Amino acid sequence: MFLPKNSAHPLYPLSRSLRLDILEMINHAGFGHIGGSLSSIDILISLYNSDLFNFNKDHFILSAGHICPALYAVLAQKNLIPRSELLTYGLFASRLQGHLNLETPGVEYASGALGQGLSFASGLALGDKTHHTICLTTDGEHNEGQIWEAIAFASKYHQGNLINIVDSNGYQLGGSTAEMMPLTELASKYLHFDWTVITVNGHNFYELQKALKTAKSSSIYPACIIAKTTFAKGVSFMENKFEFHDVKKLPEEIYLNAKKELEAK
Amino acid sequence: MKTVDCRFKISSIRQAFADTLFELAVKNPNIYVVDIGLRPSLYLDRFAARFKSRFIECGIAESNAAAVAAGLAASSKTVFLTSFACFSPALNWAVIKQSICYNHQNVKIVGSHAGLMSGDLGATHQMLEDIALMRSLPTMEVFAPLDAVEMKKMLPVLASSPHPAYLRLVRPPTTEVYPPKLSFTIGKSQLIQSGRNITVLGYGPILTQLFSDDFKKYSLDIINCSSIKPLDSDTILKSIKKTGRCLVIEDHQKNGGLGDAIANLILSSGIKSKFIHLAVDDSFGQSAVNYFDLYHHYGLSPLAIIESLKKLLSKS
Repeated sequence: MFLPKNSAHPLYPLSRSLRLDILEMINHAGFGHIGGSLSSIDILISLYNSDLFNFNKDHFILSAGHICPALYAVLAQKNLIPRSELLTYGLFASRLQGHLNLETPGVEYASGALGQGLSFASGLALGDKTHHTICLTTDGEHNEGQIWEAIAFASKYHQGNLINIVDSNGYQLGGSTAEMMPLTELASKYLHFDWTVITVNGHNFYELQKALKTAKSSSIYPACIIAKTTFAKGVSFMENKFEFHDVKKLPEEIYLNAKKELEAK
Repeated sequence: MKTVDCRFKISSIRQAFADTLFELAVKNPNIYVVDIGLRPSLYLDRFAARFKSRFIECGIAESNAAAVAAGLAASSKTVFLTSFACFSPALNWAVIKQSICYNHQNVKIVGSHAGLMSGDLGATHQMLEDIALMRSLPTMEVFAPLDAVEMKKMLPVLASSPHPAYLRLVRPPTTEVYPPKLSFTIGKSQLIQSGRNITVLGYGPILTQLFSDDFKKYSLDIINCSSIKPLDSDTILKSIKKTGRCLVIEDHQKNGGLGDAIANLILSSGIKSKFIHLAVDDSFGQSAVNYFDLYHHYGLSPLAIIESLKKLLSKS
C-alpha cells in the first residue's frame, strides 16, 4: 500500500497547533491528562475534519472523558467553542470541566467514569439508525467489564452504524497496559465478537482517513479501529512514561521544553 | 396472626405494570423496553412478542443495559429499563448516575422484587437499599406504588414525564386498597384514610397491612407516600402538625429510607412530633416461604405496628 508522507497531509499542521493548545490548557489549569490527550489528538483531528461524517447529524461519543483537552482543542478548531475559552479549562464555573459535561457545545455525552461510552453509543446507534455513531475509547478502558458487555451487544444487534475507535497508547495511570492488565490480541478479540477490525497507525492521517472510510462501509457489522498511538506523542521526554498520564502544575522548565519541542514539529 | 383481609381484592403490581406498559406502547411508538435478562419475571413476554423492535434484550449485563437505555433515550425514546431491584439499580448505580442522570436522559428504571417481600429468594435478592441509592441521585425521581390500582394510574404519568425515574415493584400479589377515584400526581401523596391521633407514612404494599379492623380504634391518618422523591411535604407536615405523632414504616433499610427523609422534614419544619421509624435495622434479609414471617421477624408486622402506635399514644 503506497501512501504519501504523513507530513504532506493537509491536516498535518493541525497536529502541531492543537498539541500546543493542549499543552497551554493543561499548563494554565495546573492540571490535566496530558498523555492520553496527546496520543488521541490526531484521531480527533482526522474524525472532525473528515468529509465522511457530519456531526450535526452523526454522533460522536468520547467515552474516555479525561482526555477532554484534546476534544476541546478540536471543538475550538471547528469553531464550536471560542478558542479564547480554552484557557478556562478546569477552572471554576467554566463550561470546559475537568471531565466532559453537556454544557460544552458539541458534546453529546458527558463522560468521566470509564467504560460507559460504548454502551451509550450502542443505544444511540440503535435509536438513530439513519446516522453513524462513532465512539472513542482507550486500551486501558478495556479493563472495564462493561466494555465487553457492549462489544457483545453491538454484535448481537448488527450495529453497522457503530464505530469504536480504540486509542491504543499502551499506558494508563499506574503503568503500562501490558503490566496493569494485559489485553493480548485485542484485534482478534473484536474479530471473535464479529466486528470488522482495522488496525492503523493512529498518528498517520492517510491511514486514519482510510480506516474511517472502511469502517463506515461496514454496514452489517460494527467496526473497530484500533489506532496504535504513542503515549504523550510529540513531547519526547513524556512519551511512553506513565507518570505523564496526568499532571499537576507543570514546572516552568518542563512546560518550556515541551512547548519548544511541539513548536519545532 | 391475621394475614390477608378477604374484603380486599388481591392482584399483582408487576402484572399491572406489564399490562399498563403494553397499553401505553400500543398508543406511543416511542416507548422502548431495555431488558436485563428477566423478561418472564416482569411479565414482558407479550410486550416482547408484539413490539419486537422496541424490546431490547441486553442479557445479564446491568451496566451495559443502563447506558444502552440512556443512549436510546438520547434519540428521543422513552425507555423502561427492567430488572430486579437487587441488580438494577444496585449493580449499575454509577452508570445510572453518569449515563442517565448527569446526561439528563429520560430512562425509567424499573426494579422488581424489592424488599423482604421477595420471600424465599433470601438476602441476596431482597433489595433493601434501593430507595437510599436512588433518592441520593440528583434529578432522579423515586416512586413505589401502593398496589396494582395505583400502578395503573402511575405508569402513564411516569411515561409522560421527561425526568429519569426509579419505580419500585414487588414480587407477590398484594391487596388493593387504593381508592379508585384518586389520581396519581408526581410530588403528591394521598391521604388514604383520615384520623386524628397518629400520622402513618409509608409506600408500597407494606402499608396495606394498616387497612384491617385491628387499626380502626387508633384513628390514623394513613398517608401513601408513593412519590418518595419529590416528597409532598405540605400534605405530610399538615397531618403531623395535627397529630403530633408520626410512624414511618417501610420494607427497606432504616438508613437512607423514607424515614430519614421524613425525620429531616419534621426537624427542619420546627413542628414538634413524636417519631418512630419501622424498617430493617442494619441487617440482611433471609429466606421465608411467606414474607409475613419475615415482617414478624424484622418488626414490620401488624403486631409490631400496634406496639409502636401504643408507644406513640403513651404519655411518657
